[in-house]
Amino acid sequence: MRIPLRTIGRVLAAAAFVACGDPKPTNDVGQNSPAFKVALLTPGPISDQSWNGGAYAGLLQLRDSLGAEVSHVQTKTPAEFEENFRQYGAQGYRVVFGHGFEFQDAAVRVAPDYPNTLYITTSGSTTGPNLAGIRFAFEEPSYIAGVIAAGMTKSKKLGAIGGTELPPVKASFEAFTAGARSVDPTIEVAVSYLGNWDDVAAGKEQALAQIARGTDVIFQNADAAGLGVFQAARESRKAWVIGSNADQNSIAPEVTLGSVLIDLPLAFLTVGREIRDGTFTPRVIALGTSTGVVRLVVNPAARDKIPAAVLQRADSITTAIAGGTLQVPVASRDSSAR
Amino acid sequence: MTGAALVALVVLLLCGLLAVSGYDVGKALTALARGAAGSPTIFASSTLVRATPLLLCGLAVALAFRAGIVNIGADGQLLAGATAATALALAFPRAPALLGVPLVLAGGALAGVLCAMVPAWLRRRFGVLEVITTIMMNFVVLYLVGYLVRGPLQEPSGINPQSATLSEAYRLPFVVPGTRLHAGFLIGGLLAVALAWYLRRTAGGFRIRVIGANPNAAAVAGQVNVPVTATRVFLASGALAGLAGAVEVTGVTMALYENLSPGYGFSAIAVALLANLNPLGVILSATFLGALTAGAAAMQREAGVPSVLVSVIEAAVILGVLASRVVIARRARLRSAL
Repeated sequence: MRIPLRTIGRVLAAAAFVACGDPKPTNDVGQNSPAFKVALLTPGPISDQSWNGGAYAGLLQLRDSLGAEVSHVQTKTPAEFEENFRQYGAQGYRVVFGHGFEFQDAAVRVAPDYPNTLYITTSGSTTGPNLAGIRFAFEEPSYIAGVIAAGMTKSKKLGAIGGTELPPVKASFEAFTAGARSVDPTIEVAVSYLGNWDDVAAGKEQALAQIARGTDVIFQNADAAGLGVFQAARESRKAWVIGSNADQNSIAPEVTLGSVLIDLPLAFLTVGREIRDGTFTPRVIALGTSTGVVRLVVNPAARDKIPAAVLQRADSITTAIAGGTLQVPVASRDSSAR
Repeated sequence: MTGAALVALVVLLLCGLLAVSGYDVGKALTALARGAAGSPTIFASSTLVRATPLLLCGLAVALAFRAGIVNIGADGQLLAGATAATALALAFPRAPALLGVPLVLAGGALAGVLCAMVPAWLRRRFGVLEVITTIMMNFVVLYLVGYLVRGPLQEPSGINPQSATLSEAYRLPFVVPGTRLHAGFLIGGLLAVALAWYLRRTAGGFRIRVIGANPNAAAVAGQVNVPVTATRVFLASGALAGLAGAVEVTGVTMALYENLSPGYGFSAIAVALLANLNPLGVILSATFLGALTAGAAAMQREAGVPSVLVSVIEAAVILGVLASRVVIARRARLRSAL
């Protein structure tokens, strides 16, 4: 494939010519259309039955309950975050969700250019005239999960397996540890991170390694890779698993104690309603135990294996947290300092 | 293979895959075309911006391959360049743009050189296969970046695994007003022209081509110092990939992230091979791949087609082109034999 210099020159000249033709950003398209357009950017595949899948279910909920016109795109790099934020802004979308703290920087950069689009980052903490964040008090049910795990462990060794060391994940594991130690201060919690969110084999390896060291309850928060933790527990039959983000109780019902879930459909619907009704003000929307968006769901198939006293204790702590009388202690809580 | 045939092949493959997976072919193709080149703004802001790192890394790979050096480490060299650029920019936050931008670009290139130096030295001193060492270096750099964004280079609030945002003085200028197209693409284009001229018109370029064609003949008949020439090419290749990283940081992301590269260094191998290792052809093949990925994002946004489908097509196209080249070469040989 020998390409003469002249051809290249021509192509480049043509590109430069067309590129100069339309200098103004097209952010006025569709502004007057009555359609309520909502878009979602996820950092991973929506087939993970967890963080990304839950968000997609939330998007579909907005479509079905509020009649929104919806669109979704899976993005990997910061460059892609920004490009897709811009494209949705240019197409007159009313709301764009960036599903994770990592979308914040891109949202901050793009928001001023598309003032008619509202950019919301889940677990983000930055706000602006058309920029908001949602903070899930995920550590609250994580704490309760720790209490239940402490009631179930015989070896006094618990495990926590995360994808990468993201702030909300870290805070959740700290709360889990605090919850377990509130029952028995001598309990050990081994925390490990896989370095990614989609390597199922790595998730399984790590879980088997923890089980070999005597861990008998593992709290996993690794999205698609976390499915490997369920596989490991199912094969070894020596450990219970607590799932994260979505209701994962049905993935491996015989080894699952429960799931610490974020009801993303409910969260999206809550926020979506406010926006549609015009009552929304840009802020960090805090969704905790009292809203029902974050909660621990005990696996119905395992309920009879958990001592009644443990369940009772978990229930009373849930009530205390929802009522505001108990603050879950977390050192690295995502402060809204920025 | 001509460009038109290539495009036809892509469209045909796409139609087949879309139809088999049950998507609306017309809608998906329209979205693909619109997302890649729907308007001059989109072409510049999406396609060419995405093509820029592919262009620079593509040149790095093409240059190395020309000299018979299989540099698979462009991805790591790119990350090293991005890291160095970020560190320099954060160390001198108040540098004037005229001084600062060249400084960080040079720093990025230098980091790429350092990163290539290890496999280059191992190859020269011990004859270690660079295919293996460069791949290994990718992991070394990736995890080093993972450490840095959680340690010395982490943003000041210490929450998110990323660096602080660079000061605006370090932003590469936009070359077309109203678009996101930054000077990086121009730098890449100029380097491609310079490299093509050097390889074809100078004695140094001839030596590179000769050691690539047959190192023994080059040493015996051509009196070329093969190890020295090869090492120089290796380091230059690293510099180009390192520059790509610095350009990506200063042109697009303005901060260092772990997931900065979706594998630019690997796609760059495809870019270089598609261009038949011709630096000028790399401009076109990088733009082509940039258009495909930009179009893929639009296809997902507007037609709900998963963007991974396009990865399948990318791979199929590359295989098709390479296979057709073998066939053409064989036919030519047959004809000359007759």
